[in-house]
Amino acid sequence: MALLVSEWGAMHAWAIATAAVVSAGCALVGTLLVVRRMSLVGDAISHAVLPGIVLAVLAGGRPGGVLVLVGAVAAGLLTVWLTQFLSTQGGLSEDAGTGVVFTTLFALGVVIVTAAASRIDLDPTCVLYGVLELVPFDTVEIASVNVPRAMLTATVVFLLLASAAWLTWKTQVLTAFDPDAARAVGVPVGFVTTGLMAATALATVASFEAVGAILVVAMLVVPASAAELLVHRLHHMAFVAIALAVAGAVIGYMAAWYFNTSAAGMMAVVLGLEYLVAAVVAPDDGILSRVVRRLGLAWRVLCEDRLAAMWRAEEAAAIQPATASTDAPASTTSQVRSRGFSQQLALRWLAFSGRIAAVNGGWKLLVQGREEAGVIVRSHRLWEAWLGRHADLPLDHLHPPAEWVEHHLGASVRNRIEADVGRQVSDPHGRTIPPESEVKGEVEA
Amino acid sequence: MIVLPTIPYNTLVVAAGVAAVGFAAGVVGSLGVLRKRALVGDAAAHATLVGVAAAFLMTGRRDLPALLLGAFVAAVGSLGVLVLLRRVTRTRDDAATAIVLGVSFGLGITLVSGITARGIPGGAGLEQFLLGHTAALTASDAVLLAGVSAAAVLLLAIGLKEATLVAFDAAFAAASGWPVGMIDYALVTLVAVMVVVGLPAAGAVLVTALVVIPPVAARQWTDRVTTMLVLAGCFGLVAGLVGVGLSAAVPRLSTGPVVVLVAAAIFVVSFFGSPSRGWLARWRRQRAVAQGWAEGRIIEAALHAMQASSSGYFTRQSIESRLGTAVAPGRSSTMASSRAWRGLLLRHAIEPAPASEASVLATQSSQGISLWRLTEQGKAEAVERARRLALWGDVLAVASGDARAFLTIDLPPPEAVLDAARLHAIRAAVAASGP
Repeated sequence: MALLVSEWGAMHAWAIATAAVVSAGCALVGTLLVVRRMSLVGDAISHAVLPGIVLAVLAGGRPGGVLVLVGAVAAGLLTVWLTQFLSTQGGLSEDAGTGVVFTTLFALGVVIVTAAASRIDLDPTCVLYGVLELVPFDTVEIASVNVPRAMLTATVVFLLLASAAWLTWKTQVLTAFDPDAARAVGVPVGFVTTGLMAATALATVASFEAVGAILVVAMLVVPASAAELLVHRLHHMAFVAIALAVAGAVIGYMAAWYFNTSAAGMMAVVLGLEYLVAAVVAPDDGILSRVVRRLGLAWRVLCEDRLAAMWRAEEAAAIQPATASTDAPASTTSQVRSRGFSQQLALRWLAFSGRIAAVNGGWKLLVQGREEAGVIVRSHRLWEAWLGRHADLPLDHLHPPAEWVEHHLGASVRNRIEADVGRQVSDPHGRTIPPESEVKGEVEA
Repeated sequence: MIVLPTIPYNTLVVAAGVAAVGFAAGVVGSLGVLRKRALVGDAAAHATLVGVAAAFLMTGRRDLPALLLGAFVAAVGSLGVLVLLRRVTRTRDDAATAIVLGVSFGLGITLVSGITARGIPGGAGLEQFLLGHTAALTASDAVLLAGVSAAAVLLLAIGLKEATLVAFDAAFAAASGWPVGMIDYALVTLVAVMVVVGLPAAGAVLVTALVVIPPVAARQWTDRVTTMLVLAGCFGLVAGLVGVGLSAAVPRLSTGPVVVLVAAAIFVVSFFGSPSRGWLARWRRQRAVAQGWAEGRIIEAALHAMQASSSGYFTRQSIESRLGTAVAPGRSSTMASSRAWRGLLLRHAIEPAPASEASVLATQSSQGISLWRLTEQGKAEAVERARRLALWGDVLAVASGDARAFLTIDLPPPEAVLDAARLHAIRAAVAASGP
């Protein structure tokens, strides 16, 4: 930190701290907005607080002062109320109503700012994307330290939001996930929602000087959405969102300084990158883990199919060597000898892991491989038998579904199917179903 | 001879171009609004800034066709990202839209600020694309905008039947074999085109208003799609023209906010004033229905009260006790009831007792209570109402199957009229006599 302060100067540190606190407040509110599917309401409110702020400033409030906070919250609630009025009283769809209300209010704010630019301390550019770089210049002295006014406002608002969230968390969770149940146990759902809207307006106005009216939506929604991909519990989501938001603020500011560009814009870009990374690496639903899971499954199926094909070839040879190729499904013996790269790879792995062994140009099953292959074949034939009995499919339609299901049946399911179809010794094609006692091993992926 | 103020040729052409853009945006936006895709364009609109800045960096000039081409690529790209996010992540639609909007705008701001900070010549003007600024347009720019707008309207006209079908009943369209996904993509692309050509007029932040507000306003006036398209186009045209005019007249005023405010004014007038769907007309209709209902209940009660009293007059108190609500103005009366009382008086269905008789009767009633009676007309109305109600009662009793056809959901819940035991008995009787 000392290094940071000395190299960047206290001003940059203050700007970063302000950005971090502001982003943290937005991320906290955004968490609830995102899980309640109200992201676009947040967008609308963040645009529409502008006229409230401008009018409050015209009425003598100063940026970051109480009057401005009140004006912004009033404008935010007016947006929500107007949108609801348009949809209930005028039959407008929600998105159309939102589109009308927030563009109009924002335009109104911009026009007033432009018209009164000489009289008020607000710049149209600042309105659009904030001037984080200028935040450290407007300070108040607290305990002989010059604290930026925006930092002070942001901290107060953050503490307010955090304590409100802390105190009402259970209610918020219940309202977000099951509003009907919440209503049934006496939660004033409408009031809670209005409170969330007011909180959104507060978070927005606290961020106003730092990031402007439009980029707030990124601060609100992006960290929360990234957190939602990473974790599965709401309070974890809130903490992760805040951490991501703070990281985004710090990295974004530094990157903006390095590239000599808008800090607010860069913060939004960094948050976007964080979301991208979360979407790729998220443990359960991430793109990467899904790809890995699918590849793993594909690999298991590939190996198991090789084993099963060899098992069938052995079976055919044992019954009648001369007609081996016609007994099993026509493809199996040729597949054993197949030269496809992935299949070769699978065979090498099976050999390496001690399931099969090479014998004069071909392969033969070892004990473990035979057991595992038996499981697959047993599953396959049991499923065919079960389909043949229950699904009323023609004989030649039994193979494809079984080819798919064979990789997914556990021992208990196999035994239940066997109980259902009876201990018949052959499948609908007339081939023997190997009994469980012969194939006891479970296949390991 | 009137001397017209000379408007420069260039300004006229620009105004015409922007008017064409406003018209086309209204027309194309109408289908977007009907398809409930009003805010999809917003993400694309905010993303255009990235394309504008990137195109400027690549060409090094502020050449409108190139910048708009960049904006279009960015808009379509952002919509592609939106679709991708919905497909491959768990993020829900609204959050995905907000993410694309916020992050792409941040990227745009980053690029524009970076360009400005490096003092690249011409870069400062890029900020005009935030809120729109038509003063910088040349005549050839305006011709380009008008041309693209005309093409967009033409394309929409060609595919209007399909677009309408999908907008109103996508499930039916899909079941009938229409490529709903393709039509949707085409529609959203058209919206993106209009967002892009609307940029000089309204700016990235507010251009959504061009494709949302005029259609929503037009929807208030008509139930026919073609009428709505034309109306929305005209509204957009007016908003565009007035916006250009005002921002040219007032220094430093960006075009976008003015365009939006004009469109919003048109919307407010439409929302309240339209004779069919307008809020005022609807409110008046509702009030008329409520008042008619209340009047009927009052004269019905009045008839009973007159028949019950020996004098042939009734008092407000007797009506109120029969109806369970106050009807006289000035007391704790419900609005509809007191209006109904006044309405009955005005159309001469009830009248106060003549002074001569009232003084005689005053001894019978307590002091200060005025007596009323139904006029001949009022009596006829009450009798007719009673006759209808009785007849309906008979119909329900004898031919309830016929009456069933007229059942509406406006009826009060049966539990509010009959007690639970009675309802239970009725249900039991129905169950016993059932098929």
